[in-house]
Amino acid sequence: MSSSRQDVVIAATDLNKVFNPGAQEAVRALQGINLEVRAGEFICLVGPSGCGKSTLMRLIGDLLQPSAGDLLVNGKSPRAARLDRDYGMVFQAATLYEWRSVSKNVQLPLEVMGYDKAERQRRAQAMLDMVELGAFANHYPWQLSGGMQQRVSIARALAFDPSILLMDEPFGALDEFTRERMNLELLRIWRQTGKTIVFVTHSISEAVFLSGRVVVMSPRPGRITKIVSNSLPYPRDFKTRSDPAYHALVSEVRELLRDAVEAARPTGD
Amino acid sequence: MTEAQAVPQSQTVKARIVFALTALALGLVLALFAQYQNLPFDDPLQAESTLGRLATWMAQQSEKDPEDIRSPLARYAHNWATELGVEALDPALLFNRISQARSGYLALIALLLLGALVARFARPSAARALSFAALLLLNALLFLIPSIQGESVGNNALILSLLAILAVLAALALSPDKMSRVVGFFLALSALLLGWEASKSLAAAVNYKILLPQASWTYQRSPTLEAALLSLQAGEVDVVLADRKDLDDLMPPHPLQADAETHLPYPDLRYIKTLDRRQGLGFLPIAPAFPGRLSLAARADDAADASAARAIFDWRIAAVTGEFADVKFLSQARHLVLLDLKILNDLNLPHLQMIAEAFLQPARRNGEYLLLRILGDAGLYTFSEAIFGFLFGAVLGFALGSLFAHSKLLERGLLPYVVASQTVPILAIAPMVVIWLGASQLSVAVIAAYLTFFPVTINTLRGLGSPAPEQVELMHSYGSSRWTIMWKLRFPAALPYIFTALKVSATASVVGAIIGELPSGIGDGLGRAILDFSSDYSMISTPKLWASIVMAAVVGILFFVAVNLAERLVLRRYVRAVDMR
Repeated sequence: MSSSRQDVVIAATDLNKVFNPGAQEAVRALQGINLEVRAGEFICLVGPSGCGKSTLMRLIGDLLQPSAGDLLVNGKSPRAARLDRDYGMVFQAATLYEWRSVSKNVQLPLEVMGYDKAERQRRAQAMLDMVELGAFANHYPWQLSGGMQQRVSIARALAFDPSILLMDEPFGALDEFTRERMNLELLRIWRQTGKTIVFVTHSISEAVFLSGRVVVMSPRPGRITKIVSNSLPYPRDFKTRSDPAYHALVSEVRELLRDAVEAARPTGD
Repeated sequence: MTEAQAVPQSQTVKARIVFALTALALGLVLALFAQYQNLPFDDPLQAESTLGRLATWMAQQSEKDPEDIRSPLARYAHNWATELGVEALDPALLFNRISQARSGYLALIALLLLGALVARFARPSAARALSFAALLLLNALLFLIPSIQGESVGNNALILSLLAILAVLAALALSPDKMSRVVGFFLALSALLLGWEASKSLAAAVNYKILLPQASWTYQRSPTLEAALLSLQAGEVDVVLADRKDLDDLMPPHPLQADAETHLPYPDLRYIKTLDRRQGLGFLPIAPAFPGRLSLAARADDAADASAARAIFDWRIAAVTGEFADVKFLSQARHLVLLDLKILNDLNLPHLQMIAEAFLQPARRNGEYLLLRILGDAGLYTFSEAIFGFLFGAVLGFALGSLFAHSKLLERGLLPYVVASQTVPILAIAPMVVIWLGASQLSVAVIAAYLTFFPVTINTLRGLGSPAPEQVELMHSYGSSRWTIMWKLRFPAALPYIFTALKVSATASVVGAIIGELPSGIGDGLGRAILDFSSDYSMISTPKLWASIVMAAVVGILFFVAVNLAERLVLRRYVRAVDMR
């Protein structure tokens, strides 16, 4: 990969994270993580709970600091990248502010970053149109369904045009049907904006459906078991889910996860 | 199918009951109306009513020198007299006006109830609105009609209105429509007022029938207590019936305490205050005007028998004329009632009408202003102190809460002191504040602030910490400063918590201001009024004390409502948060 140095957005080398280091209850959350994410890539971190996938995402987003190893984002430290506003974040809860209208919620990062009012409104409307909620700009979050709230949250994350979108189980709280619709929606937005997306999920089918590469992780300590390339062609739609190649990938990831969990079990269990 | 039929049927039954109750109420109101017809203008029912007393006062004021008149109402009366070209207003004229107004008022209630009856068939929702209006007007009667003990007419008027309220209340409670918040509030209020007066009527009925169980007892009336006690000493009577307060000063109690003072004027007499009612002796409220104040004096030798009510046949009883020994009263044969309802007597719990009347009479005999004006001014004065105390407290509370929210060290170090400060009674703090800052409104405000800052501190701390960790992380991902996170996230998230605290503080600040006035010797506020009227707890000042309490409550409620409105305005976007509370 000759052109890769330029293209690499996130580069993690031998990354370790220990919670409560030195203490009795020290937890080795991540160990020896090596990962490169290229610009415009859609990458999924998948694994059982406790495998450190959210921790890895928080390290990238500078919400946590690594205990050892190197982590570069856009060639900078995660802190510098955060202060340069390179990240848009979406959490499992939509975390909208109930006292702000939908439009004002989308404008929140723009307010913090000092955009002027006209520009804020223009961008918020554009983002809401993109997530197909343009008509709901003046509603309040509690008037929207869970799926709509999460779309507002995505619009908010994209409002200030960050280069990387970090998504931590964004559709985990939605029902299966809404979740599949949101997956299609997210793919459309990704193709439209060309963002780099790091997507954390514990759903194997979601990971395979969405991403170009699936990072399979295993617990105790959190490690990368394998990175599975997913060459299913984009654009993907509901037909993709009945593609034999899709099923093969899902099976492969499932096998890998099962092995990882078996291996991580304490002996004698 | 049967169920579907059962529901409408039970509803028709209900509707019939509602109809009957409304009709009953109408009948009662008409009876009340009839009761007032052809009433002599100086009948106690008229003269001693709230408005009748006010009219008497106005008539008195109208003859005063205009230079001496302060009250606007008195000035009005004076001008009216001048206009009529008379020296003083004739009370009969005023009574006549009141009488006309009352007739109109009762007729209006009757019309409303009639309308409700008719509307039952046409528009049930209108029927309820009409009944509700009638209920409100009926409630006002409780504040106007005097309770005249022993005078059958007065009692009837009050009882008729109580029954009418009960009927309308029951009709409204049974009517199937949904109940709005306002209707619910006033129904509960009416029930409370009704309960108040009904329990008093019950107590009066019970107390009036009471007592002195033995028809064989004989009574001797003495002109003075001294004369009665002398005849007791001489053995001419067996016991003396007298006011508890008077006896208390004169003789040692029974059983004799080790440290009892024996140099009292009647050392060989005993004062019995706890009578054994199980023995069938109940010297309970005898005279309605002095309930619960009756006691017994007996010779030391007989005291044990008297207190156990043994050997009570053929007692010869002496009582002081004019006090308890009402000729009519003592001559009546009476029955024993074992129920002591003295908590409901007029001394402990005045009639609503007495409280209303207290508002509309001068605080002192020949006072310049009505108590309403005096308490209104005092209420405003206290309110202004409370507002300053509230603002001090809110600002201080918010500052402390914010400080603690941003520094764990300060929170751990100082919060215990903040909590401890609230365990020190404000009554102990208040005099110190007055010593430090002088007896001024400022010290009162500081004392009120002492009560109000605490809830604000705690709730600010709680509210600023209320955003989910992810919401904070989100702000971090935008590269926000602490300051930005504070104003964009933590403060708006804390607002519902802060307003909850402010509502508590609003009412607490009024309490704080009233308490703060006591040691500072400020005489213009409600604190002083309450102190004045409670220091002389008698039939004269009890209603005034209650009036002061009502005024203090009104001030507190107004303050609360103001903060509540502000909350609604500020938190109008937090619809869910407001609705959930």
